[in-house]
Amino acid sequence: MFNFAVKPVPGLDSLEIEGPRDPAFGTPLRRFDLAVAAAAVAGCCAAVAIIATGGVVAEPTAFAAVLVANAVTLTLGGLLWRHGRPSSSFGYLLLAVAALSLVSALAGSAVPALYLIGLLAGWGFALGATWLLVSFPGIRPKGAAWVVMWSAFLTFLVGGLPRLLVSSPAPSHSIIGRCAGSCPANAILVADAPAVAAAFRHVEGALESIWGIGLLVFLAVELARASYPRRRLLAPVFAASIPFVSVFAVNALVSDELGHVWGAWARAVVAGTRILFPLGFIAALLFARVYAGEALGLMASRLMGRPSIAAVEQLVRRVLDDPRARLAFWLPRSALYVDRHGTEVILDETAKGKSWRAFGEGDTRVLAIVHDEVLADDPELLDAVGATTLLALENRRLEQDLLDSFDVLHASQRRLVAAASSERRKIERDLHDGVQQKLVALRIHLELALEAAGGESAMGERLARLGVEFDEALDELRAVAHGIYPPLLAEGGLAPALQEAAHRSTVPLALELGDDVGRLSEDCEVAIYYSCLEALQNVAKHAGEGAAASLRLWRDPRSVRFSVTDDGAGFVPRSEGRGAGLTNMSDRLGAVGGRLVVRSAPGEGTTIEGRVDTANGNGSGDVHNL
Amino acid sequence: MSTTSEPSAEAQTYRLVVAEDAYLIREGIRSALERDDQEVEVLEYCADLGSLLRAVEEYRPDVVITDIRMPPTGTDEGIAAAATLRETNPEIGVVVISQYVSPHYALRLFEQGSAGRAYLLKERVGHRIQLLEAIREVASGGSVVDPKVVDVLVEARMRVKNSPLTQLSSREREVLAGVAAGKSNATIAESLFLTKRAVEKNINSIFAKLDLTRDNTVSRRVRAALLFLAESDAEAR
Repeated sequence: MFNFAVKPVPGLDSLEIEGPRDPAFGTPLRRFDLAVAAAAVAGCCAAVAIIATGGVVAEPTAFAAVLVANAVTLTLGGLLWRHGRPSSSFGYLLLAVAALSLVSALAGSAVPALYLIGLLAGWGFALGATWLLVSFPGIRPKGAAWVVMWSAFLTFLVGGLPRLLVSSPAPSHSIIGRCAGSCPANAILVADAPAVAAAFRHVEGALESIWGIGLLVFLAVELARASYPRRRLLAPVFAASIPFVSVFAVNALVSDELGHVWGAWARAVVAGTRILFPLGFIAALLFARVYAGEALGLMASRLMGRPSIAAVEQLVRRVLDDPRARLAFWLPRSALYVDRHGTEVILDETAKGKSWRAFGEGDTRVLAIVHDEVLADDPELLDAVGATTLLALENRRLEQDLLDSFDVLHASQRRLVAAASSERRKIERDLHDGVQQKLVALRIHLELALEAAGGESAMGERLARLGVEFDEALDELRAVAHGIYPPLLAEGGLAPALQEAAHRSTVPLALELGDDVGRLSEDCEVAIYYSCLEALQNVAKHAGEGAAASLRLWRDPRSVRFSVTDDGAGFVPRSEGRGAGLTNMSDRLGAVGGRLVVRSAPGEGTTIEGRVDTANGNGSGDVHNL
Repeated sequence: MSTTSEPSAEAQTYRLVVAEDAYLIREGIRSALERDDQEVEVLEYCADLGSLLRAVEEYRPDVVITDIRMPPTGTDEGIAAAATLRETNPEIGVVVISQYVSPHYALRLFEQGSAGRAYLLKERVGHRIQLLEAIREVASGGSVVDPKVVDVLVEARMRVKNSPLTQLSSREREVLAGVAAGKSNATIAESLFLTKRAVEKNINSIFAKLDLTRDNTVSRRVRAALLFLAESDAEAR
């Protein structure tokens, strides 16, 4: 069997998890959070003020509302991500995009330089939002994601920026941030060339289509291909952002004159979807926690049934939705992880596409879960599963410790009893083969001497009297030797030994011996034999005049049982201060893992029932060592 | 059978093999048996089960006297030897000598049939006449049980609630003990100072009261009586 080398874990509070990431739910609010929140509030106020006083934007209320809403949700999302996934930079990315959103409010200012900054910040916001979507949840973009990113960059580098340089006045910030009349003067105007600007607008529009449609396709493919846990995380983000991205892509396709051909309702749709999209990042994190909570509940309820390690691993696989997830257990003495079959698991050399997460207390390693690497996206779940598994193992270990300590105690008790009975057996044999043998031989010679002396002579009579006394001495010695250890018990087992005991019983006794009792381990037979004898002696001593007893010995599938019942005086059983006889019996049986039950009441006789489990090595078939 | 074979047995010299691992007892047996009267001839003294069976093969004795507890296992070799001989040499009588009063061994000895088997306590060995009687009995197919063993059985049986033994008169109980010990009617009559006729009457009454099948063969009625006495254990089943 696998030996769990698990150290105690006082509770989740002291749970520390080592691995590629850190856990840390419920990190307290720090100064950083307060500073960010204060900055956000200040930024929002400033943004609203600039837009309201600038008089540049056609729809200042809508523009301010969108920017402030974006800033607030992105800031909130950023702070939540920073707490929920401290090792991920995604939270900071969200905060940065939130900042860009606020800075782009400068596009509400009539001051050309500030307007320019607002305009560029708006571009930055678009790039940042795209980056958020292609890198979510903190994975470095690759392949198709870079196509999208580059088309976004190029939209501004070879479309937006050249157009800006030849446009006078400066172009509008966006559909919702379009200028009321003409926009403020272009602070970086190189040359006013409307035809060139129009040409660049076409380049910009084309690239923008690739960007928008590419992002849509990317998101759809990503969602379709994602593993279940990753999809769980992606779904809310994509659900929240796809309307906005769609509007963006459609706009790039249908509009030459950005936003100007659209009506107020279209602008409302753009504003609405843009306000909506950052909410996905918050939802994803909350959903992950809700799911982890559910998983925790499921695991906790299943682990109550005290499943085997294999079953625990199955449960982990099910909850993680990763059929190849494995549990690895830390063996402190060997300083290595092994799986449940005892095979070493080298975590740093986990297979491609696999990742791992270790759980333990302080510096003590206990357990690692080797999982599909996409699960790294869902550390809430991993932590919940790991912590629960850890507690389950801990429970097992505590119970095992308890059982072990019982086992140690029990083993020593058993050894003591076994030593005592083997000593008794030795004494009986010594008596039988030594003194008794000599006395019998002397008795034979005495008889022979008697014969030689002739029964009628005086010497003969003396010898005859001596013979009678000799016989009494022999009988007494026999009784003593037998009381020390009945040879029949070793030789024939409980049934003949108890039958013989019945012959010697001073109380009328009905004997009922099951045919199937067979042989048990020696310790077990001795324990039951002497318990029965003790019980019979109790009947003789306490049951009173005229009482009769019955002794039953039988076997059920799991144990050997006996009962000694009398119809005598009875007594009030007490758990404390009971007689030496009962204590002896209970100790004897206890030493072989058995139990004793005493049922009695004054005037209703007494029943003493004992049982010894045969499942744990007490069973038949043990060869007696003679 | 024993009653009919007794007269002819007088003249015979019984050929014996003795198995007893304890030196002192063996010497006692030797002193008891080896006399000048030619009544018995001890062919070999053995000290364990294997040599006993080999000696039996070699000499084909009339009677084997054997201890119960002997090498190799020191448990019940004597009983085992008796069982083996019942199969291989049914004509050989066996006298088991034992230090155990326990009826268990006696009952086991008679398990495969009581003909030609005797169970004696070792101290009887010095009582030359009792020993020779037992040898004679088993050689002629009779049975003997040590009276002490019978006493244990009778006492145990008497303690059983509603025991049928309580229906017997004390005289009848004495006769029953004699029957169980393998005594012939004549011997019982002699030891109890009764007429043979009275003994027969008692036996009829006993067997009727105990509902036992009447059988005049001593060895069979020994077994019936012994089994009846030992039945106390089975009764509650």
